[in-house]
Amino acid sequence: MKTNWLDNNTFHHSAFSDLNRLVDVKQRKNVTISLCLPTLNEERTIAKEIIIMKSELMTRYPLIDELVVIDSGSTDNTTEIAKSFGADVHDANDILPCLEKFKGKGENLWKALYITRGDIIIYLDADIKNIHHRFAYGLIGPLLLHDHIKYAKAFYDRPISIGKNKIRPTGGGRVTELVIRPLFSLFFPELTQIIQPLSGEYAGFREIFEKIPFPIGYGIETSMILDIYERWGLDVIAQVDLDRRIHRNQDTKALGRMSFAILKTFINRQKRLGLIDLKNHLFDEIIQYNLVNSRYKPDTLKIVGHERPPMIEIPEYCEKFNIRNLDLKIG
Amino acid sequence: MSDFLQNLTDMVDEIKAMRDIIITNIVLIGQIPAPTFKEKRRSMVFMERMAEFGVDEVTTDGYRNPIGIIRGTSPDKPPIFVVAHLDTFIERDIVHNYTIKKDTITGPGILDNSLGVGVMMSLPIIFKRLDLGFESDIVLAGTIQSLGKGNLRGVRHLLKTWPTPIRGGVCIEGVELGRLNYFSDGMIRGEIECRILENMGGKFKYPADAILILNEIINEIMNLRLSQRPRSRIVIGKISGGANHGKVAHDANLGFEIRSDSYKMVKSIYSDIKDIVDGIGHENEVDLNIKTISNLRASRLKFNHPLVKSTASVLHSLGIKPISKSTESALSIFLSRKIPTVTLGITHGENYYSENATAEIEPMFKGIAQVIGVLKSIDQGVCDENQLA
Repeated sequence: MKTNWLDNNTFHHSAFSDLNRLVDVKQRKNVTISLCLPTLNEERTIAKEIIIMKSELMTRYPLIDELVVIDSGSTDNTTEIAKSFGADVHDANDILPCLEKFKGKGENLWKALYITRGDIIIYLDADIKNIHHRFAYGLIGPLLLHDHIKYAKAFYDRPISIGKNKIRPTGGGRVTELVIRPLFSLFFPELTQIIQPLSGEYAGFREIFEKIPFPIGYGIETSMILDIYERWGLDVIAQVDLDRRIHRNQDTKALGRMSFAILKTFINRQKRLGLIDLKNHLFDEIIQYNLVNSRYKPDTLKIVGHERPPMIEIPEYCEKFNIRNLDLKIG
Repeated sequence: MSDFLQNLTDMVDEIKAMRDIIITNIVLIGQIPAPTFKEKRRSMVFMERMAEFGVDEVTTDGYRNPIGIIRGTSPDKPPIFVVAHLDTFIERDIVHNYTIKKDTITGPGILDNSLGVGVMMSLPIIFKRLDLGFESDIVLAGTIQSLGKGNLRGVRHLLKTWPTPIRGGVCIEGVELGRLNYFSDGMIRGEIECRILENMGGKFKYPADAILILNEIINEIMNLRLSQRPRSRIVIGKISGGANHGKVAHDANLGFEIRSDSYKMVKSIYSDIKDIVDGIGHENEVDLNIKTISNLRASRLKFNHPLVKSTASVLHSLGIKPISKSTESALSIFLSRKIPTVTLGITHGENYYSENATAEIEPMFKGIAQVIGVLKSIDQGVCDENQLA
């Protein structure tokens, strides 16, 4: 197991706080950068993310070239607010409308590849309560300043919001510690060096993202790491300490559903790689139980686990970006 | 000046074009907790932002008030001060996450005074983008230890130790747009503390109750005859005490404020209250203490002072109706040092002191334009030949 990755490829966001330097390097390398915020009912946090990113990384320092919101059909005022603060807002269903429609974060991220123009794409969750522009420049930094790095992932302290205006100083990461890390330890010990594989903030070069499949739901973060690792190795991945991120706490049942989707994604990839052999197919439903009138009643949710193919296989995408062959540019 | 007033209304839209930067400053500073005496982190961010905006000099004074100085074109002109207090009433363990909606910003402490600080932090970049220059240096100071027991220590020290004369000043508060404060009442804020030990008052049939003792004091205060001229007033603003419903209270606290046009009258009333406290403490054999939390001398500009008149013109030119009341804030420290100064509010808001304090975004741009208008007036000399009465 390669253990020096943790030392060599782990950064702190403060290493990239010289924004003039990042802008210089960006311009010298003639690179364009897009920021994508996937949303579903984020009216409380979306405006703040847009304003801070625009103010600091577009108006004051021309680091980001476009800011795009891809919405999954919010029923609150998310899209109206995002538009009023100048974001380029798209309904995921309106992008590539000829394809079958799915709903999920992974779907939004995948469709962002078609909508955005940047050579580098940053994905940030839209529910970050303590948003700061370090969340973006911290992830852009390694990609601009280290030529071998093609994908940067965030990690942070995770205080969790436990009610109105109250936070618990540490916590969260339960799915990581109970599901992902044991799986990585069993199959890919090297990947355990990634502190928070499920963090929702990452950035990478288009040439990477367009060549990997995107699960439409919760499995996106896990699959992204596994696919990049399998195809290009660990050295193209970096992780960046963004200090602190305050997010919504999720109940155990929601985490159970998330774990189900992640396990499914993981097992399907292992099967494809020939690392495991399943005698039966996997079921598509997670069954959880609720106590109703002193009786346990099953609560069943179907999680099919659809995946979008690599974007580079979509003809409309190839046409839009004038891609004539499928030669890989790296690796 | 009239040409400048004419341009001021056009400037509102130009300031509005910088909305994202202004709101970002408000959010980035406002999300850092800064209860009085614990403003260090907020001070550091204030200075970092000032340095990022290319302010000529960023420093702290001897009391650690963070300061940014924008150099003027005439070194012999005294500086103009803009101050906004950094501290808030909100405790550190309250989550300071702000929510921005289409027309509002909501979050703890935004109105008093994170919005004011964020706007002040934005002035350097606004000046730069509007190509505004001044003859005087503009000193932007985020003053610490202003509220409550802070007793305006930060601004007192800043002005006391500033090495040169000061041409004039503008104090910025988050709300309310339209306020034009140019006078301060004399004021003493005090606390009365009642403590009853378990074995005190034992010779009475019933043990003394600290809340009832304070009630008696309140009744006596209400019996005081206050003068109509000089105008005087006592506010009973805070009370707390006791442990639970069925237990005699062994401790209780009362917070009050005395205000008057005359500081002599304030002191006289305070002395009367002290006599009441001493008398009731003695008669009931309980431990009663009175102490001063903060105090201010009465000070004012005259209504016909050129700064007041020109500020009123600035507000009128922007369609804002000036409203003048006494304020017990940094203004009084400026005025007591004979520095012509006004306090202005930036926008409208609601739920001032709650965690859901909400500021309106749109009026803010007029609020900023008025600050620029007043600074220009001072820079053009409205404070130069008029000493305070």
